[in-house]
Amino acid sequence: MSTATAPPTSAPMLCKHCGLPSTQTFCCNGCRGAYELIQGWGLDSYYQLRDSGQTQATRETHEDAFAVFDDPEYLGRSAPQTTEDGLAHTQLTVIGLHCAACVWLIESVATRTPGWNDARVRMNDHSIRIAFDPARTQLSRIAKQLSRIGYELSPQTTSGDDAFTMENRQLLTRIAIAGFCAANAMWIAIALYAGDATGLADDHRLYLRWFGTALGVAAVVFPGRTFFVGALAALKNRTPHMDMPVALGLAVGTIAGIAGLLSGRGDVYFDSLAVLVFLLLVGRWLQFRSQHRAAKTVELMLHVTPRHARRLLPNGEESLVPTDHLRIGDSIRVRAGESIPADGTLESQRAKLDRSLLSGESAAVDVDQGDLIEAGATNLTQEIQLRVTAIGKDSRIGRVMESVAEAAGQKTPLVQLADRIGGVFVVVVTLAALGTFAWWFASDPVDAASHATSLLIVACPCALALATPLAIAVAAGTLAKRKIFVRDGASLSRLAKPGTIWFDKTGTLTLGRPRATWVHGDRQALALAAAIETENAHPIARAIVDLANDVDPANDVDLASGVDRSNDEDSASPTTKRTTNVKTQHGGVSGEVDQHQVWVGNPGFIIDQGGRISAADAAAIARTLSGQSTPILIAIDGEVKGLIAISDAIKPNAAALVKRLQRTGWNVAMLSGDDPAVVTRVGNELGIAPESCLGGLSPEQKLQTVRQSVCRTKVMVGDGVNDAAALAAADVGIAVRGGAEVSLRAAPVFVAETSLAAIATLLDASRRTTLLVFFAILTSLSYNLVAVALAMSGQISPLIAAILMPISSVSVLSLCLFWPIARGNALPQ
Amino acid sequence: MSVFYIALPIALMLGAAGMIACVYCIRSGQFDDLDGPSVRILVDEQQSDDVDSQRSQASDPS
Repeated sequence: MSTATAPPTSAPMLCKHCGLPSTQTFCCNGCRGAYELIQGWGLDSYYQLRDSGQTQATRETHEDAFAVFDDPEYLGRSAPQTTEDGLAHTQLTVIGLHCAACVWLIESVATRTPGWNDARVRMNDHSIRIAFDPARTQLSRIAKQLSRIGYELSPQTTSGDDAFTMENRQLLTRIAIAGFCAANAMWIAIALYAGDATGLADDHRLYLRWFGTALGVAAVVFPGRTFFVGALAALKNRTPHMDMPVALGLAVGTIAGIAGLLSGRGDVYFDSLAVLVFLLLVGRWLQFRSQHRAAKTVELMLHVTPRHARRLLPNGEESLVPTDHLRIGDSIRVRAGESIPADGTLESQRAKLDRSLLSGESAAVDVDQGDLIEAGATNLTQEIQLRVTAIGKDSRIGRVMESVAEAAGQKTPLVQLADRIGGVFVVVVTLAALGTFAWWFASDPVDAASHATSLLIVACPCALALATPLAIAVAAGTLAKRKIFVRDGASLSRLAKPGTIWFDKTGTLTLGRPRATWVHGDRQALALAAAIETENAHPIARAIVDLANDVDPANDVDLASGVDRSNDEDSASPTTKRTTNVKTQHGGVSGEVDQHQVWVGNPGFIIDQGGRISAADAAAIARTLSGQSTPILIAIDGEVKGLIAISDAIKPNAAALVKRLQRTGWNVAMLSGDDPAVVTRVGNELGIAPESCLGGLSPEQKLQTVRQSVCRTKVMVGDGVNDAAALAAADVGIAVRGGAEVSLRAAPVFVAETSLAAIATLLDASRRTTLLVFFAILTSLSYNLVAVALAMSGQISPLIAAILMPISSVSVLSLCLFWPIARGNALPQ
Repeated sequence: MSVFYIALPIALMLGAAGMIACVYCIRSGQFDDLDGPSVRILVDEQQSDDVDSQRSQASDPS
């Protein structure tokens, strides 16, 4: 996890294996190991096959974490099944798949590992089927092996994938049946039209019509049933839907066709009907697939949080169990660096936690024995033991999730433009048909009925119904290539209309990674401060240690080792000084270094400890505050010796993004849990009006602000748990990279990119997509207009309908495929 | 032209056989992954390249 949140500050080169910024050839030992393994097996063409996109570095994993893969209880549904040939088969989720090269690498490794007979990786649902010989190897060894090359295995959950597989198969089956009916109906229709031109015996004509009608009816009854279901549901809910005119056209066409066949009079439109069903189903499947792909990508991010806990057995041993299997009253152990799986009271003496996911505040907090610890917090320094008091839904994070679900439920669903048109369409077409019937009735009652029914059939808006799913499928696919994942197509049309866009501050507009700058004082004090901060995983502590290393290269042990400092067990001390009695408190750290009492912290902390702040220091503090930074003082033996300014740098193109958004009519605002003064200052720098910069907000206040706003489109961009409810309540929630699990679940759009340019790209793309939908609808409507006009004047024939309909669908299709959804870089760097 | 009465059902039955085969393939999961197979073409080629180069090395007496 550490690699995702805290890449090293200076980035002169990229890691040879994973491509993350690194100070050395490899960013971590995992990557070095993976690189050597790949080279050793002669698989180095992996690096050529792999596209330039992202790959994630191996997560740090404890050795014994793999042992759980031999425990059927942990595996659940993924427990290996042994077949008669003595091989064990299992299916698991694999995390870290990015591209073709990953599939190739995993499958190649399997063939080169003794005892591991086969691996089949499926890209689309990120699953792997493993066949291995239990006598020669174990699943835990396979998991470990995969972990070494950068992929994590995880047991499959019971829900989700099955539903997708079933629906995918059902849609494809329908498409296959509809395709068969359409293709055969078409050639039968061709025989009929050719017969009309050259002469055809009456009994042959009837024979062909029988078969053609049977095929058309089969297409409408079996695969086309779904449109009637949709139309009925729309009628019941009294919401317009595109299925309504489609169902009307299909129903009238089928009835008129059967009547025409039995009476031997009138036209039959069976080929048009079958092709209509086929094309519409294909469009639906494309949209279904692209949205599922985006959802799947987001879901995989969720797998990253541990789903198991170390339960303490009565005999003092630990066993890894799934988090759902925990009971209230269980004792669990949490190692340093792991996140807390359930709410509980601390049984250990004390602990240091990072609660930033819940509170948005990045400062580490100390808790003492008996204090309540919330699930989702990260244990920073030492192994702790706690007694479970609440799990799942009852935990604090569970309640936040509930408020997210509730906020999402209160959102009014958007009626797509095409659906609205669909509702109007039914009325207009029915009126037109009645008008036509009335007009022709006077002259020829029999022809009048025929003209009216052919109008209803040719007006069936195939291209119109195809336009929206196609445009959304194309847009979602294009955006996914740019690491923007849209799970809900309606978000695209929502984003096209400017309204208010709220940004979370930390990690969204800023880098979320504090940097220290030396203001003034004694350099020696800095070395002492760094000495007591070395063991501290808190971001500000890391920033101070970095600063000390930069200022005094003699201390540069840590920097030279070049490793990610957030896993602090191996980070060498920057100094040789002996530190004792280091204690992290609210607002600062105290400790003793070489018989000096050292305090490092904010001014309030120093005063609380009994330190003296001189007038000159106070002036420097005021200057620091006005320079948009947080002052941190270093006091040696009660005397302030140095001042450090901590600032969270604003992302490079944040100002450009804000300016661009404002130019295109968006009202930009900030919602932050951080100090209001800091929020206002950041807003000032970015050009956001001070009254729009709200700081010091709780998650509930963020939710209230979003809910109470009365603007047209409400968009929230954020990453933390404290943003989750607001993300869900907004018309469109956009979760950004590194976000908390809850915020990923809450937001329909996920941006897996740290650059803010992605937001601009997304908004551009949604505008273009909406424009595309508009043009596609216009195009198909004009074809419908021509067809309806012909039908009203009595000029239409099944042949003209059979030609017009595919042409309109093909024009819509090519419009969608060649429309520039996203172009170039939306923001100048 | 009486052959027409036989030819049309036969043609439709052939088509139906294709459709049933397709539906069978869908049901058996062959269409579940549409991205992997395109990748495995590369994999096979890569492996046969390896084998080829090994063979050519083995057959090379020098």
